[in-house]
Amino acid sequence: MSVGFIGAGQLAHALVRGFTAAGVIATQRITASCPDTDLPTVSGLRKMGVNLTTSNKETVSKSDVLFLAVKPHIIPFVLDEIGPDIEDRHLIVSCAAGVTISSIEKKLLQYRTNPKVMRCMTNTPVVVREGATVYATGTHAEVEDGKLLEQLMASVGFCTEVEEDLIDAVTGLSGSGPAYAFTALDALADGGVKMGLPRRLAVRLGAQALLGAAKMLLDSEQHPGQLKDNVCSPGGATIHALHVMESGGFRSLLINAVEASCIRTRELQYLADQERISPAAIKKTTLDQVLQQPGVTVSGVANGNGRSGLSLFNNRGPGVKKKN
Amino acid sequence: MSVGFIGAGQLAHALVRGLSAAGVIATHRITASSPDTDLPTVQGLRKLGVNFTTSNKETVHKSDIIFLAVKPHIIPFVLDEIGSDIEDRHLIVSCAAGVTISSIEKKLQQYFATPKVMRCMTNTPVVVREGATVYATGTHANVEDGKLLEQLMASVGYCTEVEEDLIDAVTGLSGSGPAYAFTAVDALADGGVKMGLPRRLAVRLGAQAMLGAARMLLDSEQHPGQLKDNVCSPGGATIHALHVMESGGFRSLLINAVEASCVRTRKLQFLADQEKISRAAIKKTTLDKVLQQPGVNTEAVGNRPRGISFFNTSNPRTKKN
Repeated sequence: MSVGFIGAGQLAHALVRGFTAAGVIATQRITASCPDTDLPTVSGLRKMGVNLTTSNKETVSKSDVLFLAVKPHIIPFVLDEIGPDIEDRHLIVSCAAGVTISSIEKKLLQYRTNPKVMRCMTNTPVVVREGATVYATGTHAEVEDGKLLEQLMASVGFCTEVEEDLIDAVTGLSGSGPAYAFTALDALADGGVKMGLPRRLAVRLGAQALLGAAKMLLDSEQHPGQLKDNVCSPGGATIHALHVMESGGFRSLLINAVEASCIRTRELQYLADQERISPAAIKKTTLDQVLQQPGVTVSGVANGNGRSGLSLFNNRGPGVKKKN
Repeated sequence: MSVGFIGAGQLAHALVRGLSAAGVIATHRITASSPDTDLPTVQGLRKLGVNFTTSNKETVHKSDIIFLAVKPHIIPFVLDEIGSDIEDRHLIVSCAAGVTISSIEKKLQQYFATPKVMRCMTNTPVVVREGATVYATGTHANVEDGKLLEQLMASVGYCTEVEEDLIDAVTGLSGSGPAYAFTAVDALADGGVKMGLPRRLAVRLGAQAMLGAARMLLDSEQHPGQLKDNVCSPGGATIHALHVMESGGFRSLLINAVEASCVRTRKLQFLADQEKISRAAIKKTTLDKVLQQPGVNTEAVGNRPRGISFFNTSNPRTKKN
């Protein structure tokens, strides 16, 4: 089995590091493509032994499972580019926040009658094999495809199937969650330093305390509130600390954060559904590099007010598969 | 080597579970004592195969390393009770927040010239072997004693030696830290449920995200701010979320929390140093049970500033076995 990544940024890099550490796939069976070879993650991927290319079409031809690891607004662009190259064996897994399975299927159906599509939301701790991943299955993907994806993603953390309508909420919670944690850890370390600890020790102790608490919660059947109670001895230091947190509306800030991330995700999905890819969304240099790929031409570039904006078709009509 | 716990509450229970899961000591070589046999943790300890007793003196006799796992205001009470039973081999490790090594040495020196005392601050995730522990070494404890304690505590998480004056700050950060985390995951799960997730999944994803992020930070040389930047794609969902957190002063609340816990710890230490153990701090039923132990009796309890104190019938400085 070969795995390919369209996109060679943070997500592709984190997934490749996790998969290889888990030993589920050898790096020589992984291909990644990206028009921008200057990304720091590109050299990281090369060092791991991944086949790197500037051609998305090459990634498709070399892979069975294809992860779309590009930013949401680039997805339609990529789908039009690789659509003609999709074959029966291909399983397309989109990791893009807010991009629906139906929008991907709609685009690919111009090229192929039964595109196998899945959608997943994961997060960067896959790099240390402690990721949180959910996935939803598209119209033409089979049970075995779901199991295959789940096997891959479970090697790098928690993975479960969900209904697609939950994925935006998952984005707000565990997709963005690591950023909330990094911010909290920075602040906790500041607190430790304020009270006299050296910085390195403060960062270490803060991270270890969060890690240990999270592990306790995952290993326990108890409610987080019960676990919190167990740590608060009467009149002690911890309950004093909790009071100041509650006084500042700590909990509410975290609920706000999950909500804000989820809402923004839904907004990005809405914008994408309008199919407004303005030319401004794609760098001229990137566009030039893609146009240099064999078999890709551009037609009908609007001035930004046209409904379809930029679209890329090969020189055959839609609906006709271009053979390799 | 045998290990004893004076006190059989949350901390003793968590440490025993972690140490036995780590395989560093067999539970039958562990003794724990408490006058209160109704604590739920007592049952847990019994089930683990620990020797449980109501006699602190028995714990001392059966152990080489003795963890003092009782609340801070009980420490002087316990030291007076066991002081005359301390021998050369004993290493006393106090886990009580805010109780200084010097206050413990001062009390024990009434009974034994060179008590080996160490002080540690740990936290409850020792129960899943992901604790955070620091320790400081007392006047008469050796380098080997430090290494022994470090070996034990490193089997259940991170452990490092520090200067004693840092321990109160550590209490505020990693001692209380798990409570901050449990509160955070509860709130994150509420957020997930608000946006449509079932509760169990929301708790699972919130805890997993926190665990993964902490693991990334521990395994990385990078600054937490850099790791945060890496997760925030331009115009994306995450940076929107971070903005609302910052607007509410999220970071400041956590700094406040660490400070409040540390300040309270120092205050508890100050109160303890006054040596005011009011009678009200000890339940009559507990006091009665301790008094039933052989070799313990009370002097006349008056209104002395020292409140209750316990002496056995021999003179101080005469070792009683």
